[in-house]
Amino acid sequence: MAEPETSSRFLKLLPGPLRRPGTPQNGTGNLIDSAKEAPADLLGWVDERTGGSSQMTAMLFRKVPKGTNWFYTLGSATLFAFIAQALTGVFLAMYYTPSATQAYESIVHLTQDVFLGEFVRGMHLWGASVMVILVFLHMARTFFFGAYKYPRELQWVIGVVLLILTMTMAFTGYLLRFDQRAFWATVVGTNINGTGPLVGPFLSDFLRGGAEFGPTTLPRFYAIHMLLVPGAIIAMIGAHLKLVMTLGTTAPPWLRADEASKARDLRTEKVTTSLNGGSSDAEEVNEV
Amino acid sequence: MNRAEKEAYLREYEVLKKKGKPFFPYAVAKDSAMALIVVLVIVLMSLILGTEQGPKADPTTTTFVPRPDWYFFFLFELLRIIKPYQLVPIATIGVPTICMVLLISLPFFDRGPERRPERRPVASSAGCLTIIAMAFLTYVGASAGPPTEIDLATKPELEAGKNVVLSSGCLGCHVIGDNGNHGPGPELTEIGVRRSAAAIERSLRVGPDLMPSYSNLDADQFDDLVAYVSSLRGEDEEATNGE
Amino acid sequence: MPEAASSNGDDAPKLPPAKPAGAFEGETMTRRAVFSIGGQALGGAGIGIVGLSALGFAAGTPLFEQADEIWTAVGPPGKFAVDTYRSTVITLTHGVGEAGKTTAYVRMGSPDLEETQAFIAVSTRCAHLGCPVRFVEAANNFICPCHGGVYGFRGEVIGGPPVRPLDRFQTRVRDGQVEVGPRYSVTGDFDPVRYRDPGEFTGGIWNVLFPPRPSTPPAP
Repeated sequence: MAEPETSSRFLKLLPGPLRRPGTPQNGTGNLIDSAKEAPADLLGWVDERTGGSSQMTAMLFRKVPKGTNWFYTLGSATLFAFIAQALTGVFLAMYYTPSATQAYESIVHLTQDVFLGEFVRGMHLWGASVMVILVFLHMARTFFFGAYKYPRELQWVIGVVLLILTMTMAFTGYLLRFDQRAFWATVVGTNINGTGPLVGPFLSDFLRGGAEFGPTTLPRFYAIHMLLVPGAIIAMIGAHLKLVMTLGTTAPPWLRADEASKARDLRTEKVTTSLNGGSSDAEEVNEV
Repeated sequence: MNRAEKEAYLREYEVLKKKGKPFFPYAVAKDSAMALIVVLVIVLMSLILGTEQGPKADPTTTTFVPRPDWYFFFLFELLRIIKPYQLVPIATIGVPTICMVLLISLPFFDRGPERRPERRPVASSAGCLTIIAMAFLTYVGASAGPPTEIDLATKPELEAGKNVVLSSGCLGCHVIGDNGNHGPGPELTEIGVRRSAAAIERSLRVGPDLMPSYSNLDADQFDDLVAYVSSLRGEDEEATNGE
Repeated sequence: MPEAASSNGDDAPKLPPAKPAGAFEGETMTRRAVFSIGGQALGGAGIGIVGLSALGFAAGTPLFEQADEIWTAVGPPGKFAVDTYRSTVITLTHGVGEAGKTTAYVRMGSPDLEETQAFIAVSTRCAHLGCPVRFVEAANNFICPCHGGVYGFRGEVIGGPPVRPLDRFQTRVRDGQVEVGPRYSVTGDFDPVRYRDPGEFTGGIWNVLFPPRPSTPPAP
């Protein structure tokens, strides 16, 4: 693999940014040189078989409009909170027993006896609140910046679906700890579904696994909380991110094309800078 | 947005994007910093606040006061303030469904080209009002005391009467301070200002309208009850009396 | 593939073709259409078989299978009075331990209230959204701690948002013991109907809008 011709052939496959400058095109091929080439070789090997690096560079080196500020990190922060929830959730599942007779005891056990149990459970518990807050903040940013407008309408719809799914997670996660507060909140929540005419009664039967709280109720909530909704969330996040890449991050609504160059100097003032009328903006764009 | 406005936006966005910086490493650095903050907040909350685990679920209880987690307090309060029973499906299903439909369809009815919040007065004020309403409902829901205790300060000699109030279910129909239910009975927080002790005693003995008569209580208990209810003179004064 | 090229309908012919473009005489579908429709049908059938089976598995039993009737003995008839309730713990569901139990308030039926049953067992599930109500002896009423529901002595609504009187349980006397059985709901006039979840109206048109569920025991 370390033949000079081979490595240079692979390197040509790499897009510019990943290609190391000054790579010897026909070196003497001693051991140190080939060791230096190894990472690039490996990358090239993978890339030749996946075509991944062009997508990676397209994602990583796509331009983000000028003036994006800290408000624009709320989306990725939400994603990160979800990843934290997923990780801690998977490990909590290793100790949890989804049965009405053992759930409470298994939670007490994992909190009190398991090494780092209270810490990890605390992260999952408070991470839920943090994620709900971040989702709402992210939505508020999108709303006030007008970022849901053309061409990002679908992006907003997916976002609202993600909001509903997040609240579903918060609701179904309740019952699992099986204390008084959790149980009664779930009773009320399930009955809220039942108040919808015609379909409501059957929906709450479906959620509960029968007319009364029974042996299958807790496993049902567990399956919904563990598998069904997270699967939907992951799919929706995938679509959300795909659209971010396709459509790009919005620019702050205050920024206009003719102001963009000035904004470099007036970085701190760009939010308050008053802008010229829309007609001159259009002219400016046409010139560009 | 019409076709020209759409094209104008896309052209302008293209220019702004060209003048921007690459996602990596500039935006990624900010995102990573924010991610670290999120993790630190979660870790600190977990370390400082720990976990909460109440008593085991007991469907046979008749004394437990159910309350949701904080992020559903607004819905909880909505259910409390919509009193007429005919409106229950509207509170439980109607309002949340309408809100969700409005939210999902937002980009389809708000299609103007303007993006700056200060130039979209209707949208911005609607958004602010929604936030204020939800914050208010959450606050009121969070501070709604259960009908099994009274948080107002009480003079020691009136404690006996307060306990009679609690055990007699007065808070099922009346509000005292932050505790109890709004209706069907009137609020009792300041009843001592509006009614004389004699009038209060008469009401308790007769039981006007829906209110049951409490004359079947022991004489001592009944006197304690009258003394406590007629001492209610509003939150602030009660608090100073209590000191 | 000259045929495929010519079958491409992009040229927008002025007159509607007598047969599908690219098809031989007598054919009504092109090869492409057969594969397109057939492929979608096969895929749809595959997904449908798995999806419908899974949905039936998840929803069938909970929605359509009625649980066994459970009767709990709560004490001798002499234990209960006409003018006040005694709280008893009964079993609703087997297999979940304590979580399958609930509290029922039991009293003797009162001829003054025109009640024909020997014993009345009132459920502690609020008819608003299912919170646990408490019987307050001093006031002779039931109080819900959640959203402000208040019920009178018989379980009739006297305040707050509950949509119907408190549910009841069937009662009977066996071997010198009062037994409390399946739950049922009542209308505003205390006519028994099949058990509805809290928050669902009963009586008149509401019995249709909130249909009786096959998973619940029939009304007495």
